[in-house]
Amino acid sequence: MNTIALNREELARRKRIRTLFTVLRFLLILIFFVIFLFPVYWIAVGAFKVEGEFYHYPPVFWPSHFDFQNFVRGLAIFGGAQALIASLVVALANTVLVIGFGVLLAYSMGRFNVGGDNMSFFVLSLLFAPPVIATMPLFIIWKTLRMLDTYPVLFLSYILINMPFAVWIMKGFFEDIPQGIENAALLDGYSRFHAFRKYVLPLAVPGIAVTALFVFIFSWNEFLFALIFTRSHTQTLPITLAGMTGGHEIPWGEISALSLIAILPGVILTLFFQKYLVRGLTFGAVKG
Amino acid sequence: MSSMAQARGTSILTLEKSQKRFARLVALPGMVVLILLVVGPLAYMLFNSFFVKTLATPLPPRFAWFANYGSLFTDGRFWNAFLNSMIIMVIGIPVQSFLALVLALLLNKKFPGSRIIVALFLIPVMITPVVAGFEWKIILDNRFGPLNYVLSFFGIAPLAWLAKPLLAMASILIMDTWQWTPFVTVVLLAGLAAIPKQVYEASSVDGSSANETLWRVTMPLLRPMFTLVILLRIIFIFKIFDPVQILTGGGPGVSTETLSVLTYIMGFKSFNVGMSATIAVVQLIIITIIAKLFISMVMSRRKGKES
Repeated sequence: MNTIALNREELARRKRIRTLFTVLRFLLILIFFVIFLFPVYWIAVGAFKVEGEFYHYPPVFWPSHFDFQNFVRGLAIFGGAQALIASLVVALANTVLVIGFGVLLAYSMGRFNVGGDNMSFFVLSLLFAPPVIATMPLFIIWKTLRMLDTYPVLFLSYILINMPFAVWIMKGFFEDIPQGIENAALLDGYSRFHAFRKYVLPLAVPGIAVTALFVFIFSWNEFLFALIFTRSHTQTLPITLAGMTGGHEIPWGEISALSLIAILPGVILTLFFQKYLVRGLTFGAVKG
Repeated sequence: MSSMAQARGTSILTLEKSQKRFARLVALPGMVVLILLVVGPLAYMLFNSFFVKTLATPLPPRFAWFANYGSLFTDGRFWNAFLNSMIIMVIGIPVQSFLALVLALLLNKKFPGSRIIVALFLIPVMITPVVAGFEWKIILDNRFGPLNYVLSFFGIAPLAWLAKPLLAMASILIMDTWQWTPFVTVVLLAGLAAIPKQVYEASSVDGSSANETLWRVTMPLLRPMFTLVILLRIIFIFKIFDPVQILTGGGPGVSTETLSVLTYIMGFKSFNVGMSATIAVVQLIIITIIAKLFISMVMSRRKGKES
């Protein structure tokens, strides 16, 4: 009798501790969440503030009314619309080129191990190299060809950043597709290329699409090459944003509005393709 | 009998040969593009690193053997940038790993909505780096920034985050930690998810406390993930340019100049093509060594899985 009562007390105590731990756990998650999401919140809210609210103490955590003028002025007066078009053109053209040239190389590496470990090592080294090291040689080449400040300069240069990535990631996707698929097609008398196009490619489409999305965002977000290779006609969104701090009064409202537009593709990728995000950013080492 | 085997042997041989030919043919266009656009500029860079060459004067470039490398290794500014990159690694990576481990352990047990919470946490990773730089510039503003406002509740006087060398470096570290801790977290979460439940059951049957389980079971099993993520972070820190350029521009003075930022300044502010190429070559060599480590890790993981 006594022992049972004791056990009951002990059980109640354990339950209380467990509840306490759960509360503590969610409290900690909440704290992390608030800290890590605050800057994102600050961009979003900033896009709707009026100018005075940026130069206000204490800081304005919730604007008095939501103002859309920042978007209008940012796009029309500060060149945001033109930059948006430039960003889209460059990112799309680069994605098409990178995937187009990369897909067969990736297939060849993933399936037939072309070039072996040396080839993998070569692609990975290019993938890991800081892009800044290529800026000067590229700059001299483009300058000599009189191509600075044109769209091709950007989407061709971005091949350098994105192609090693795309090839490496797609290679992994092709490795995931069972080998037997082509063999069956080959036994039926189809050519190797036909086997690839009709049997392997459809299975690889989701992986290729996700890779394309990554490539698009990397081009869209790119700053360094665009900073050096563009002047006025082909400025992409990050460059226009960076240029807006030039004057003596910084238009934070317009900057926030354009920033909000700029981060959209990346946010969409993270929210809807989380599984692939991990795989992409670990260069295929973690399958997510 | 033997002739049949021979015939089969040759047919397999020709099959293999045709497969090899096909593989090479298909790889060709991509390889040509890679070599033309990637290897070409890099070779040109290597070439430039042996010349005294600037865009600032009309003097013709002068071949100088390894003179650039010699002056680079005696140049205080290069070592300063090298040290700054190292500081970001040596302080940033352990802090981020610790925070990420705590967060991963908190998020490991699923709860309703945990998937979307993890996804939201990941937003900083894919955010436009220029925007990240601006955002922190606003947050760290010494007069109107929300951070100093929050700190004022703890009795801390407004800090001039971006104006003092040490605080500027702290700002870079804060931004980097904000941007990359979520990434480390999800990699560790993937590692945690891969630990079989039986391992924990066995540990609890042995009567281990939660603390013991963490240190004796979870941590050793997470080690490969830690190695992987640290390697990746080293690579990313070598690449870091945009947010630093926006947030501090390497300043005040040269106090937050990283290797990438210095390469840029050497090339496009001082127009010193030779030196800029030399720093680039040194970085490429370091990165190649890291790539070698990474690939041996990935390969050993693959082989481990197959066997």
